Amino acid sequence: MTPAAALDRPHDSVVSLNGIWKSFGGLSVLKDVSIELRRGEVHVLLGENGAGKSTLVNVMIGAHAPDRGEVRLHAKPVDDLNPFVARQLGINAVMQDFSLAPAMTVAENYFLGREETRGPFLRKGEMRAAAHAAIQSLGVAIDVDTPVSDLSRPEQQLLEIIRALGGRPGALILDEPTATLSHDESEILFSTLDRLRRGGWAVLYITHRLNEVHRLADRITILRDGSVVAQYPAGQVSDERLIRDMVGRSLETFYPAVQSQAGDVALALVGVSDKNGRISDVTLNVRYGEIVGIGGLVGCGKGEIGSIVFGLDALKAGRLELDGQPRRFSGPRDALQHGIVYLPQDRRGEALALNRSADENMTIERIRSGEGAAWGFLKTGSLSNFVRSMISMLDIRPPDPEKPAQDFSGGNQQKLVLGRALSRPRKIFILCEPTAGIDVGARLDFYQQMERLCQQGAAIVLISSDLQELIHLSHRIYVMHRGRVVGELSGDRRTEDEVTRYAFGG
Amino acid sequence: MIESTDLTKRAELPSPKRIGAKFLARFGPLPFLIVPSILIFAWGNPRFLSEANVVNMLQQGVYLLLAAIAQLLVLIAGGFDLSVGSNIALTSIVSSSLMVAVQQAYPDAAWLAVLVGLVATLGVGAFAGVCNAAGVALLKVNPFIVTLATASIFQGLTLLISQGLQIEGLPEPFVEVLGAGFVWQIPVPALIAIPIVLFFYVLTSWTRFGRNLYATGSNPRAALIAGISVPQVLFVTYLCCAVLAAITGFLLTARVASGEPLLGAEFPLRSITAAVIGGCSLRGGKGTVVGVVLGVVFVTILANGMDLLRLGSNYQMIILGVVLIGAVVLDRYRAA
Repeated sequence: MTPAAALDRPHDSVVSLNGIWKSFGGLSVLKDVSIELRRGEVHVLLGENGAGKSTLVNVMIGAHAPDRGEVRLHAKPVDDLNPFVARQLGINAVMQDFSLAPAMTVAENYFLGREETRGPFLRKGEMRAAAHAAIQSLGVAIDVDTPVSDLSRPEQQLLEIIRALGGRPGALILDEPTATLSHDESEILFSTLDRLRRGGWAVLYITHRLNEVHRLADRITILRDGSVVAQYPAGQVSDERLIRDMVGRSLETFYPAVQSQAGDVALALVGVSDKNGRISDVTLNVRYGEIVGIGGLVGCGKGEIGSIVFGLDALKAGRLELDGQPRRFSGPRDALQHGIVYLPQDRRGEALALNRSADENMTIERIRSGEGAAWGFLKTGSLSNFVRSMISMLDIRPPDPEKPAQDFSGGNQQKLVLGRALSRPRKIFILCEPTAGIDVGARLDFYQQMERLCQQGAAIVLISSDLQELIHLSHRIYVMHRGRVVGELSGDRRTEDEVTRYAFGG
Repeated sequence: MIESTDLTKRAELPSPKRIGAKFLARFGPLPFLIVPSILIFAWGNPRFLSEANVVNMLQQGVYLLLAAIAQLLVLIAGGFDLSVGSNIALTSIVSSSLMVAVQQAYPDAAWLAVLVGLVATLGVGAFAGVCNAAGVALLKVNPFIVTLATASIFQGLTLLISQGLQIEGLPEPFVEVLGAGFVWQIPVPALIAIPIVLFFYVLTSWTRFGRNLYATGSNPRAALIAGISVPQVLFVTYLCCAVLAAITGFLLTARVASGEPLLGAEFPLRSITAAVIGGCSLRGGKGTVVGVVLGVVFVTILANGMDLLRLGSNYQMIILGVVLIGAVVLDRYRAA
């Protein structure tokens, strides 16, 4: 069937997978999976990392061929499906790892792979105008001539989605799109999806956030360990049921209620401004035994708090205080020596040596201590013990220390980073978006670790765009807006409304 | 302070895979290429496995091995050293000039001359190393560009000092022992190479520096955030590479028995080839001494075998190119 013929007759069933089986090297990733995306419907796919969601999407767009089972697009089976054909048939996927060309501009990326030409020449002016119009129509303020590498991650995310919409209508597949979006930007996304639904698109929306399920879903499918566990029409199933289906176990509470025994002030920022102009006159502090959250819209500067403290960015004004004493850290090594550890937002780019093993990644700091090395020589036995205990304590899967870090799922990669953070005695943890892109089960494990650390007396700074996480875990919340701290919330004032209000400027 | 973990809990590890698969994962495809190659060449020419030829291969391979290990270090760090060839030439000329001068001043102290030559070698290596290291670690210029530039600079210096001429009259002990000598029927250069190879094996696999090196090459930003001093690691790496290349030049000079301004020209490319065949990734963070040893063994066997089969050098170049691509592709399948 030619692409043109398929689009002539729009069918209710846009994408239909029947009895899909897929294995990689003996490991069964999808087992008898059937799912259908229909016109005018948002179908939410829930599942833990490792459940097979990404593989399912890859089968839908033709990046992987199933071992068994049938893929139908617009109700017709398609042979030799590949992503190019899928796109022509109107199946567009936006994955967690973007497919943008960083050195090219927004407009150029918008038309990447489907440039408008007059003969062999590009119609640059028209493409620029079209890209501009598409972006404007969504109420997003991005300059089409900016190189993509200059955009923030959420802006890149939105561009990726807008780009997918620019193709022929059919099915849009979104994989955890709000992982790095703020409340505000997520709302733009949701209203866009509402519009798409009305316009007859079929949408597959992968998430683990239940509030998004409430907001968007027409139908819900839950994937666990490669099998479809349940399918529900929206509004006919409780949150508890959904979580239990996803995780396979019952949960008492989602967020641990962490007791605060706030001690002395561990770390303080006083009137801090950075050289890049992203934060100005910031004053905040965190005490031992408490979790302090920092929230705000994307671009508010909360992300910079971590890099300033850690010595990655330079101070223009103000001072840092450690245990009440003014200090300036010359770099990460200096900060680490004083018991401060920083978990950056971009764990693949900034926290992990991807082609090295889990073992090496977790011990890279420990080798600087007496337990890790003597006279420069590695104490492999001691390090190996440490790694195994970390794997056990953090429930890292698969429990293979020799496996390269890149072969672990996002949640497990974050556990590797956490394992490294726990490899030396620490006083202060600065966590930047620590649960971004991580599934329910792994998040719970992470929250439990935070609880444990807090009870042991650590000071934790939690920088997060996840409102629920921020509200439920933090003992106090600072909200930032345009580089300044505009609010400090504690006690009963820690609500979604309050944080949002301040995030927009109060 | 939050203390590290309770070490009494142990996780259950997965049971070991089949021995063959594990061997493959550990040593790569090379053993499976080397053994059949030996058989093919031995069948093609029985002299291949003769003692004389084995010694011959040993003598040929040693210099490439040292240069390839030098290259391994910078490849792990995510860079290259294209100046190894010029480094070899510069070392050859400088050490030869000094040795000849000392020999003329103190005709009876031949070993003194050799000692001076060695010191000069280390000096040239240090000089070259600091140049490269400064460019890569301090000025933060792309290693490809830095070493391309220093290759040119060193070669220019070499030709300047030597005026394009060879330097004859090297001390006898130098040529006869270091160049052509045998101890227990093993060529002296090979004997010298053994502790050097062992040293770098230990350095890369068993020391903190080794781990820092792999981390820096794999992800310099992550290494920085983990508290590694990236400029320091790079500096030491490029320095070691250059010193090792200089030592190679010194030994090679002994072999050819004269100071040669054009010595080592083929080494940059051949050392990278051998290292990559031995499992190094050009993107950094991957590669082992064992792998490089196997890579050099394979390349040497291939060249020698092809010589004995009377294959013309033109054919050999083509075959070497094909082998290089084949090894890299095979390596990617192995990783998958």
